[in-house]
Amino acid sequence: MHSLYEIETTIKRSSRAEGLSWGVSEEAGKAVRLLEQSEFQGLESFRRLIDLGLNNLNKLLDVDQSNTRNLCPIHFGIFFLDQSHNKELHRTYNFKNINEPLLIVPFLSKSAKKNLLYFHLKSPDLNFTISPGGIYFINENFFPKNLTDFSLTISTNRKSKYTQSSWDYLYKLSLDTFVEETEEKKISGAGAGLTDND
Amino acid sequence: MQIDLRKPELVMKLDRLGSFHQSKLSFLRSFIREFKSWEFTTEKFALDKQGFGHIVYVVNNGQKQYSLICFSNHIEDSERSDRVIATKWDASFVLFDGVPTEEDIERLNDNVPLQEQGRVSEKELCLSRANKSVRVFEHVVDKLSKGEQPNTKLLYDVGYLYRTTAVYGSGKFGLADRIKIQNREELKGPFRLEMMLVYLARQFTFDVVNHVAYSRSPNKAVKLKGDIARNLGIGNSTGLGMAPFIVNHPALLNQWIIAKEKALKAIRSISSVSQKDKDILQSYLSIIRENIKFWKTESDFQKKKNNQLLKDLSIFQKFYSSFPLNKFFWNSIYEWTEANTQSECCEFIISLMMEVYPDIVEPLSFEMSINEDEYFDIDTSRTIKEVCQLIEDQYTWLLDINFDDKENILNFWYYSKNKQEPRMSDRFTEEGSDLELPLAIARDVSALYDDLKSCNLEKDLGYYLLKNQEYRHILRRVLICEKLPYSEIQDNTTSKTLIPVDMIRLKLSFFGATRFDPRSDRWVRITMYQGAPLMREISKSDDTWSYKKIA
Repeated sequence: MHSLYEIETTIKRSSRAEGLSWGVSEEAGKAVRLLEQSEFQGLESFRRLIDLGLNNLNKLLDVDQSNTRNLCPIHFGIFFLDQSHNKELHRTYNFKNINEPLLIVPFLSKSAKKNLLYFHLKSPDLNFTISPGGIYFINENFFPKNLTDFSLTISTNRKSKYTQSSWDYLYKLSLDTFVEETEEKKISGAGAGLTDND
Repeated sequence: MQIDLRKPELVMKLDRLGSFHQSKLSFLRSFIREFKSWEFTTEKFALDKQGFGHIVYVVNNGQKQYSLICFSNHIEDSERSDRVIATKWDASFVLFDGVPTEEDIERLNDNVPLQEQGRVSEKELCLSRANKSVRVFEHVVDKLSKGEQPNTKLLYDVGYLYRTTAVYGSGKFGLADRIKIQNREELKGPFRLEMMLVYLARQFTFDVVNHVAYSRSPNKAVKLKGDIARNLGIGNSTGLGMAPFIVNHPALLNQWIIAKEKALKAIRSISSVSQKDKDILQSYLSIIRENIKFWKTESDFQKKKNNQLLKDLSIFQKFYSSFPLNKFFWNSIYEWTEANTQSECCEFIISLMMEVYPDIVEPLSFEMSINEDEYFDIDTSRTIKEVCQLIEDQYTWLLDINFDDKENILNFWYYSKNKQEPRMSDRFTEEGSDLELPLAIARDVSALYDDLKSCNLEKDLGYYLLKNQEYRHILRRVLICEKLPYSEIQDNTTSKTLIPVDMIRLKLSFFGATRFDPRSDRWVRITMYQGAPLMREISKSDDTWSYKKIA
């Protein structure tokens, strides 16, 4: 097994060798390192990307660009990492297809934490949400090598995932930690002045 | 009186950084301070009569153990080389997390002597190798086997029995990643494991000579006297590979420098200084002026520096003896030294001032590590205008450099394919500059600045990066430097006038190296742990060992 350091530096250097800038190569190295640390096949995914030829892939440079076929996941990820602070971009986008979609996860994850965002990816083959909380249960076997006709929604809104009755039940239970207040305690317990006529 | 930190534009010049000396903040000294309460033992001693085989040392605090496994192998004289291109060494070392089993030792015996060509696992933490100083080793063994002690003049001229030529850690060649151990309390200080490895390797050098001498003549042999051994360190030969480290780790560099600057500021701010404090510095000064005579070098560059240091220390001594204990005494001392001596002497005196105040200085050694990943991400909401301003404020020193002038971009840094080590070459006469490493910081910041100035200044970096990803790495640095002002060397590392040995010296001074002996402008020999307590006496160390008289 290779250390995470070896994985990061090898990916960084191989990205550079394939023509990416040093800064983008550094990002690629960190992304694959994070995936491998999380026991995802980031290195294999990156290797398939290299086989496709990084220069043959389409870079996402504008959310409204007309050609969204054959997208590069590294540039796709960096695009949303760099742009997501801009609130005007918090909406839904549709894309034609992207290679090795697993590689976008570290970038979206970082952006979600940094900007407190939710990324909802939807496609016929794969649905997942990346949230600022950072707990994901993504089955990598469901990650296709190529994702077609997918949408990405960026939102600051956290969705409620529980019923009102569950909330009411737990809230009632939480009240059991409170002390019943007598009239005397209402006067002495708060600590503020007894008259407000000053 | 308000004393400020020294400004980065003064401190971060390479001439200044290349004049730094070991101090209380040096990693090998803080290692001994922190580990002296641990138990150091020899767990296994398996050398044959010629001194080949292995030794295992264990460092233990009752809850946690670290072991150094030292392999000693026979090599031909013709195979012995300090250069990184070597493939065989007299000794090789691996620091193990815990206590190794026989299976572990067997596995490591197959790999550790091969160094870069072998593989280790995440059970291992650090890797190193060393060669004998042949003339000293043979002399010592010969004398000890005859029942005599060796010639100390010869010994102290060299300063060590073995020289290490590399110490690897943090995930290299399969070693454990930093992340595995970064939360361990005992490893919070900088380079703790590397310092442990080198300290135990020094003990190995003494154990080998004693063992071989005894094996040669069991009835006559004596052991190397403790007083002599204590004055021997372990050598190190370091080349260009170490130089880019301080450029590649800007956040870490900041932590090292700012710890020293905070110490200096605190000492200069002391309003009332006692005669006793003044005398402490004087006592160290007197000893070290004698010890400097043992700093041997063939390098004209270093000889000039050492001679200038001795000359300046002589001038300083006269001033110091006659200067009264007025208010803010240390501030006056510092200001006089800065104004009247060269950087080499000034930084030396700062190291001595730090010796007087362990309570101020020692806690700062815990601030010398950093999680570099926290500074990796670029805040793309910042405007282009803000970044231009940052460059004008932080990188003023490079704005007037003409990068069309060949002399300012003469050198390029690259990785050697053969040894995967950084190298530097002439861009205009040698091939490979198309594979240049991103270490031309001054040139790249200048290019970024020119490009930014041509853009809409009100736009943010997210917008800028859409079409300018080639500047991503350098933009990251500019933003790091904003938060960490001592993160950037303020000199052009591609210039014809660059002296790479200054970069190496900076790092080695923080390690605690002494006796700098540059063998060219690109590699240097140094000594570590000279004067340090031996393994059996480490618990009694009082951290004054750097200033004990050598002979």
